[in-house]
Amino acid sequence: MPKLQELFMLTDKGYKDLKGAIAACTLTNFSLMLPFGVMMQVIMELIGPLTGGEISWNRMWLYFGLGIAVAGIVFLCHKNDYKKTYTTSYTQSESTRITLAEHIRKLPMSLFNSKDLSELTTNLMDDVATSEHVLSHIVPQLFANAISITVICAMMAIFDWRMALAMFITVPLAFFIILFSRRIYGKLHQKHMDAKLAASGQVQEYIEGIKVIRACNLDGEKFSALENALRTMMRLAVAMELGTGIFVTGAQVVLQAGIGLTVLLGTTLLTNGQIAFIPMIMFVMIVVRIYGPVLVELTLLPELFYFQIAIKRMRDLMAFQPMEGNAEKEIKQYNIAFEDVDFRYNDDGEQTISGMNVTIPSGGITALVGPSGSGKSTVSRLIARFWDTNKGTLTIGGIDVKTLDPEHLMSYMSFVFQDVVLFNDTIYNNIRIGNMDATPEEVMAAAKAACCDEFVQKLPVGYDTMLGENGSTLSGGERQRLSIARALLKDAPIVLLDEATASLDPENEALIQRAISTLIEGKTVIVIAHRLRTITGAEKIIVLDKGRVAEQGTHQELIRQNGLYHKLFTIQQESLGWSVGA
Amino acid sequence: MKSEQKKKTGTARLLQLAATKKPLVIGSLILSALASIVSFVPYIAIYLIVGEILGALPDMANLNSTLTIQYGWLAFGGVVGNILLYWGALVCSHLAAFGTLYELKVNFATHLAKVPLGFHVMVGSGKLRKITDENIEKVEGFIAHQLPDLVGAFVAPVVMVIILVAVDWRFGLAALLGVLLAFFMQFSIYGNEGSKAMMAKYQKSIEEMNNASVEYIRGISVVKAFKQTVYSFRRLHDTIKAYTAMVIPYTLSWENSFSGFTTLVNNIYLFILPVAIWVGMKTTDYASFASTVIFYLIFVQSIATILMRIMYVNGNAMRIIGGVEAMDQVLAEPELIQPAQPQAAGSHDVSFREVTFSYDKAKETEALSGVSFRAKRGEITAIVGPSGGGKSTIAHLIPRFFDVTAGEIAIGGVDIRQMDTHYLMDQVSFVFQDVFLFKQSVMDNIRMGNQNANDEQVIEAAKAAQCHDFIMKLPKGYQTVIGTRGVHLSGGEKQRIAIARAIVKDAPIVVLDEATAFADPENEHLIQKAFEKLMRNKTVVMIAHRLSTVRGANNIIVVEGGRVTEQGTHDELIQKGGKYHTMWQTYTETASWSMANKKEVRTHA
Repeated sequence: MPKLQELFMLTDKGYKDLKGAIAACTLTNFSLMLPFGVMMQVIMELIGPLTGGEISWNRMWLYFGLGIAVAGIVFLCHKNDYKKTYTTSYTQSESTRITLAEHIRKLPMSLFNSKDLSELTTNLMDDVATSEHVLSHIVPQLFANAISITVICAMMAIFDWRMALAMFITVPLAFFIILFSRRIYGKLHQKHMDAKLAASGQVQEYIEGIKVIRACNLDGEKFSALENALRTMMRLAVAMELGTGIFVTGAQVVLQAGIGLTVLLGTTLLTNGQIAFIPMIMFVMIVVRIYGPVLVELTLLPELFYFQIAIKRMRDLMAFQPMEGNAEKEIKQYNIAFEDVDFRYNDDGEQTISGMNVTIPSGGITALVGPSGSGKSTVSRLIARFWDTNKGTLTIGGIDVKTLDPEHLMSYMSFVFQDVVLFNDTIYNNIRIGNMDATPEEVMAAAKAACCDEFVQKLPVGYDTMLGENGSTLSGGERQRLSIARALLKDAPIVLLDEATASLDPENEALIQRAISTLIEGKTVIVIAHRLRTITGAEKIIVLDKGRVAEQGTHQELIRQNGLYHKLFTIQQESLGWSVGA
Repeated sequence: MKSEQKKKTGTARLLQLAATKKPLVIGSLILSALASIVSFVPYIAIYLIVGEILGALPDMANLNSTLTIQYGWLAFGGVVGNILLYWGALVCSHLAAFGTLYELKVNFATHLAKVPLGFHVMVGSGKLRKITDENIEKVEGFIAHQLPDLVGAFVAPVVMVIILVAVDWRFGLAALLGVLLAFFMQFSIYGNEGSKAMMAKYQKSIEEMNNASVEYIRGISVVKAFKQTVYSFRRLHDTIKAYTAMVIPYTLSWENSFSGFTTLVNNIYLFILPVAIWVGMKTTDYASFASTVIFYLIFVQSIATILMRIMYVNGNAMRIIGGVEAMDQVLAEPELIQPAQPQAAGSHDVSFREVTFSYDKAKETEALSGVSFRAKRGEITAIVGPSGGGKSTIAHLIPRFFDVTAGEIAIGGVDIRQMDTHYLMDQVSFVFQDVFLFKQSVMDNIRMGNQNANDEQVIEAAKAAQCHDFIMKLPKGYQTVIGTRGVHLSGGEKQRIAIARAIVKDAPIVVLDEATAFADPENEHLIQKAFEKLMRNKTVVMIAHRLSTVRGANNIIVVEGGRVTEQGTHDELIQKGGKYHTMWQTYTETASWSMANKKEVRTHA
């Protein structure tokens, strides 16, 4: 059964463990037959006097003793299977979580653009939790029950095939109903899941946008998007439960009708003298219990279907190919060249970069400027191989970036982006991300050079201060400086700088300017500039417009050209002088 | 008020939640109880059949076959009746459950909008989302499944005990002894305080794993950039490991009691046996003795199913109670106090009188202390100062995102705490630095400012906010849903949509919190135009970094370390030669800074 392993996305160990768990469960099921056998002996002994025989009370005591011993066996078997099933599933889901997380970190950045955060987190958490439950509570029992029911069925047929038929005929019928309803269930379930995801997304928005919601008096049900999503979810949940409930209930009725059928057939056969009393009682005793496990399976089947959906989602995620490349090749020169580069974010989306031919010199400042949406950020992200170009080549020091392992390539670059992501960890560790091998002295030095030291020292426990969720306790300027400290610590030869558009208070601004000056010293710098004033001294300014290079040159040259750059520069100078009430 | 009621916890609290849909819940409970009772009918029928047969022994020809077969039908009818009644119970309970769920979520969301904003900052969106998505969700399971099962689990043992004792009390008591022992085992699993503490730990380790994975995925772009995926991976990795390390021993700690329970419920006949021997040795009516024993041997089989069901209900209830407690903790967070007799503002002047405020009441650090100023209608009041000095706090206090610790904020002389919150919100428009747009159409995003605005008014506001041109270039114009594929708005564009929101609201007071901060310089002039429109004839409180933008303000207030240190017009403050003067100098220097690096190129070490 190698397919089973694949079907449930199990590791080799997990698969082996699962087989062990199934075996253990089957053993438990069989052990539960033992008390039943003892009971049958007791009944036979009991009716002895009624059929003209004798009853031996000593033998009854013997059966009692046997019963105690058998109970001990049941206990041991159950303990064994309990331990195996839970250990298996929790161990397996741990490795599934880790495998998924490990895989996610290797995926290209493009994926994080298209899949949103909540979906990826769902993958990681909920789906694994589902499979955890399924693997501990459903799968082993399902297989074990199937095995033991088949065995019991065969054994019972030896006693009386007609009675056995009456007892088991309803099982396939019930399963048939469930299987038949599967498609309907799948559809309803998918709808419900979609509604649930939508509602969950709305909840997230509601919580994140709480300030606006409050300011606009849209709290609670007045925020109609959330209200609608919740209402739709409620409606579809009811539809799903009732829709599938009809089938599940129907299947249960059909299945348990077997009890009536067996009793009816038994009494008929008995009155015709075609079956002895003992086998008849045996069938009746079995029939009142046999459907228990089958019933459990019937109700668990939908969960198994749902599990398949979860598995599919995980499988889809695992199917995304990580970017690969050479992790050894050294980059010795830092001149960057775009040759006929085309790029679009989505296959059916708009072309973001088209036919770009441009070179960025090694050592020195190159600025990328242009209106928003012109492709400035994209250019910098292509250099870092967050994405691969659709056409053309991009080389650094003559080496095609597509041939390089993305993480290896990253080791040559420092980034200072606008959206600073901080971790729920100490300030010290947040800086140290730049270089995990750095000594505490080096970390402090970087913090000082990035003008962080002063504000950090003011905090009660300084560098050991824990930052909250995404560092929400810090101001924008402080966050910026922390990210510069990271980059300083990394000390990579190429610096990609996305100049913050956010304006800060003058003091902060001055500190950041100082930190940046330290960071770019002696580096090959590519800066996405928003305030043109800051890059007037750049070696090269590349002006982008709608994904194409519109102009390039130094500030003086471009001003003289009197083109797009000139226009942008003039507008900015004017708005800089603006004041309210003037 | 809700808060006056005594707080209920545990199952009582769950029942309180379920009671909001009374008729459905009661219907479900009755049906479920009936189903439980009917579930014993087959056993009775079997008892009757066995009695008939044993009475006929040794010659089967004596058997009353019509009656026996009728008993057979009775057994069948009992089975089907049980299922149908139970299904009816589930239909009612599901309708109740999803209805309750909906109401709980809406209430929770409403509450979230009423607690002080600081609560959101402290708790974090991940946790609140988890509570709404997962913890509250569990209430559904409680009402839809556990509640009817709970009744079943309660009624079934009662009926069971009646039957056990009624048929023959001697066997009945023996069987009950077994049942009690099984109960004791079960109680040792779920009932004690230790397991509640474990449950809390379990919840917490799941929560930590959840938070770690959110952070992991959110931060992936950064960690990739620093080749530190292993670092953040390790954090997640550790929480995953911690969860497993917690959950396995937690689960395995029950292996003995759990296995003991299963063994007991499957072997209750062993309790009957000695009694049977004892009774049988002295019996005079052997046939009826034998039929009674055989009935008990068959009947005790059902005890396993019944007890298993109780245990299942119990185990789930524990998990749900944990979830509801998390929700109740949030609901217990006090809302901003609403005035008993709301007042309306006299005029639209905003005044701060000796306002003192601290974010954390336990700590003594004050974000603002003794701040007083007055912003007059038709005038622009600018607030400047170093970051962390308390500027944004001032902006956040006006809409009562927080309440002042001392002093008062008044509009037209009326304390804002004496106003209905909704009324207050109608008086003030806000544009914050961190613009949040919803994944809805542009039209709806702007209309949030004023739900009654028609499409024309929205478009007019968009035009005034200089948004119209770029909106028309979006794939579906005003109907474009923000956040969909291929729709990307720049910081400045988002900012202008936020301004349009404020314009369509047209409130007499405008609060701008560093509203130009995220604007891209290339279209800053558009935002500036939008502002001019928004601010006309309003009371404007404007927090600004870029000092040049507020040179023309009627009054500039310098806030430093939570105190007002200077105020006056630009010229007055420059002449004074104080803090503002220094800030102005720094500002002019940074505004002319340009990047440069030394020419030597270092190779990669």
